[in-house]
Amino acid sequence: MPGLIGPDEVRAVAEAALDLPGADGVEVLFFHEWGGLTRFARSSIHQSTWREDTGIRIRVIAGGRVGVASSNDFSKEGARRVVASALELAEVAAPDPQFPGLAPRSDTPDKPGAFHEATAETNPERRAEGVAGLVGQVEDGFHAAGAFETTAVEVALANTEGQFCYAPYSQATVSTVISGGQGGSGAADATAGRIDEVDPEEVGRRAFLKARDGQSPRDIKPGHYEVVLEPMAVDTLVAFLAYMGFSGRAIHEGRSPFTGKEGQQVAAPSIDIYDDALSALSLGLPFDFEGTPKRRFDLIEKGVFRGGVYDRRSAKMAGRESTGHALPPPNPDGAFPLNLFLGTGDATLEDMVAATTHGLLVTKFHYSNVVHPIETTITGMTRDGTWLIENGQVAHPVKNLRFTQSILEALSNVEMIGRESALVSEFFFSASRVPALKVSSFNFTSVSDH
Amino acid sequence: MLDLAHQAVEAASKAGADYADARFVSEETESLSVKNQEMEGIDRSLSQGVGIRVLAGGYWGFAATARATPEDLDRTAELAVGIARAAARLPMEPVTLAAVEPVKAEWGTAVQEDPFAVSLEEKVALLMEASRRMQQVKGLSFGEASLDFYRRRTSFASTEGAAIDQTVVHSSGGIEATAISDGEMQKRSFPNSFRGHLRAAGYEHIRTLGLTEEAERVAAEAVDLVAAKDCPSEVTTLVLDSNQVILQMHESVGHPLELDRVLKMEEAYAGTSFVGLGDRGKLRYGSDKVTIVMDTTIAGGVGTFGFDDEGVPAQRVTLIENGVFRNFISSRETAPVVGLTSAGAMRADGWQNLPLIRMTNINLEPGEGTLAEIIGDTQDGIFMTTNTSWSIDDKRVNFQFGCEAAWRIKDGKLTEMYKNPNYNGITTEFWGSCDAVGGSEEWVLWGTPNCGKGQPGQVARVGHGAAPARFRNVRVGVR
Repeated sequence: MPGLIGPDEVRAVAEAALDLPGADGVEVLFFHEWGGLTRFARSSIHQSTWREDTGIRIRVIAGGRVGVASSNDFSKEGARRVVASALELAEVAAPDPQFPGLAPRSDTPDKPGAFHEATAETNPERRAEGVAGLVGQVEDGFHAAGAFETTAVEVALANTEGQFCYAPYSQATVSTVISGGQGGSGAADATAGRIDEVDPEEVGRRAFLKARDGQSPRDIKPGHYEVVLEPMAVDTLVAFLAYMGFSGRAIHEGRSPFTGKEGQQVAAPSIDIYDDALSALSLGLPFDFEGTPKRRFDLIEKGVFRGGVYDRRSAKMAGRESTGHALPPPNPDGAFPLNLFLGTGDATLEDMVAATTHGLLVTKFHYSNVVHPIETTITGMTRDGTWLIENGQVAHPVKNLRFTQSILEALSNVEMIGRESALVSEFFFSASRVPALKVSSFNFTSVSDH
Repeated sequence: MLDLAHQAVEAASKAGADYADARFVSEETESLSVKNQEMEGIDRSLSQGVGIRVLAGGYWGFAATARATPEDLDRTAELAVGIARAAARLPMEPVTLAAVEPVKAEWGTAVQEDPFAVSLEEKVALLMEASRRMQQVKGLSFGEASLDFYRRRTSFASTEGAAIDQTVVHSSGGIEATAISDGEMQKRSFPNSFRGHLRAAGYEHIRTLGLTEEAERVAAEAVDLVAAKDCPSEVTTLVLDSNQVILQMHESVGHPLELDRVLKMEEAYAGTSFVGLGDRGKLRYGSDKVTIVMDTTIAGGVGTFGFDDEGVPAQRVTLIENGVFRNFISSRETAPVVGLTSAGAMRADGWQNLPLIRMTNINLEPGEGTLAEIIGDTQDGIFMTTNTSWSIDDKRVNFQFGCEAAWRIKDGKLTEMYKNPNYNGITTEFWGSCDAVGGSEEWVLWGTPNCGKGQPGQVARVGHGAAPARFRNVRVGVR
């Protein structure tokens, strides 16, 4: 198993690129990631993988022009080749009047405990044992599919302004879908920074109970329903809202539903959405990908939109300061919040079901996509556990439905918020922590056959 | 590079693999983006490494490394075998592979003009001019233009004796116009959305696109869309442009016919399929106008290659023949389950991922007539072009797509323009309602750069050829 390369060796390789003649500024972004994934289907382990990769991504500024080149050759020679290539690109690029300069030297906050050595060193036998424990929760006539992944990453940034930041972190994720019997399936997952904080057996048990209770789903008509959305479904709404709306550049250019909405009520007063990479309840780096330190940033507070996130370039365009949300360069779409929270409330899932007269309990959404970005309307399907709620009781499972729904409208119609939250990982570097929600009206536009 | 692949295979055999293959892959990219005549990005990347796949005791193992020293290859091969042995923790029917003749071969994309050798100055000038022409249109907010180039060199070796070197080159270019007014944002793209028209070709492809020539028309359509009415909600006749037919085919034909989905190997992530193992020759998938093939041999397809990532030669397979389902998209592991040999569709995203069943080039065979003739033959309906959005359920039954623009067809003519068009349907009902497919003169081989599948997630470039087509009784304007 590989180990951490560490800040000293990273700094030595970066320095081979930083003293490039002819450049006004150089920035070196370094990645090293490794890990294994044990994938299972039909209750057997069918695809298991392991990989290790390094990467250096170098941005060169010359005469107000910017070029970017990258390679996975982590060596001083490799760094010299990449920086020369980036300079060649910069020399032919048009001048970028919006380029604000590289991030200045500043202290980066610590995030203690983000890297867990045992998680980084997890071997395939340990993951296989976890999968066996998960599959062991599945009764006859059902089967499990999913993945148990353990990964580690170290990221560093060095630039000619003297900024140097470095941080490692780890992640463990277990996810499963259990299906079988007379139709119907159940899904569950768990994500944490340490392998000992995810419990494959608990995930398997949770998904199996959903599959068992979801048997023989009945037909249902499309229409407007009250909904109780479990955290995996809520995450879809939060992630798409971020994608369509929270970029400061999109707000500045009029492409965001939040353009001109600062200080205005956009959701129910109970809704708080913020980004906080430094929270112990989140996964994430303490700096962004151009070296700006992270801090908590409130996007929606008591239903009022407070502002979007900026990298250094989009901040200059909008006359603001970077909020520390830069993505790796070149990033023409601007900044993005990778560590979102939707604030918790005081209800249990049972409270929400009990408060529902005629509605649907939704485990998760599937394959969602944008319909109308300014209206924050998306479409997608329910999947792996949807039930009709009648008079405060879960009545019976139903076949999957398609929704076509404005996210901000749904967040304006939130009646209850869960007191527990779950960390749901959209992709590496990004994970949202969200509770369940009860929404008074949700638009389902068609149905499927299963 | 082939030497490294051979070394990796030998290391895997020494570590105890019953079967092993290895791919040394080197991928290079170059991308340029311009927005309102400002450089938004100009970047190059290089990624290379070795992926080693083994069978040990009937189980798969895979490990990959960017470091290709002999010690790293030994260590990675041992890890791949260890992963396979760990998989035996749960019982499984041992993997058996369909036979394939191991070959020693070289193959490459036919390229007239190396896109990486064309000067950066020429590329930047093209994008700046396209952007400038878009900006000349009053009311336009953003005029964007982009170029993307890709070269992948793969050296494949196996314990069966295969030794294959391949080089694939792809080029793509496109423009996108955005108009924003009164809280409404509309886009028009050319030749296609998501960074343009992707082909397996050199820079000669870029020279045929007409990015500057079409810039003002595209920008004007974006501005017109802002003032257009919303697509009405109704059930009507729908004519789709070829660039939307390909997305419809991708999601509702290509993916459901992947045999790993049918066998529930992808259940937890992307889902399964409504198609059953026993449906070959029986399932009525569409009307008799619908014949769909997977053709990995066709020139220009971004799914075209000499051999897949298991060393299986490129081939043409009929998936749907006059509306009847005939064949799956398969691999060496899955094909024997239905008594077939591999369709040659195993592809990996880079060196660091395990090959999976992926679409190569999935094409709707041409019918007869031009788009104008299909529209001329339509009394009342809607014409939609250029995909913006796609969504389909986990068994590929209920779908919904959005397009950039639509027009009312009235008495055989395009009339009023509509914005925000979308449509919804059920896969076999939709293809069953197809009553016209355009002829070869309208047939375009497109490329989609962003097909996602697998865990860890992989992205594939997929080719799709189609002409415009007409469908009856389709629900449009879903809200």
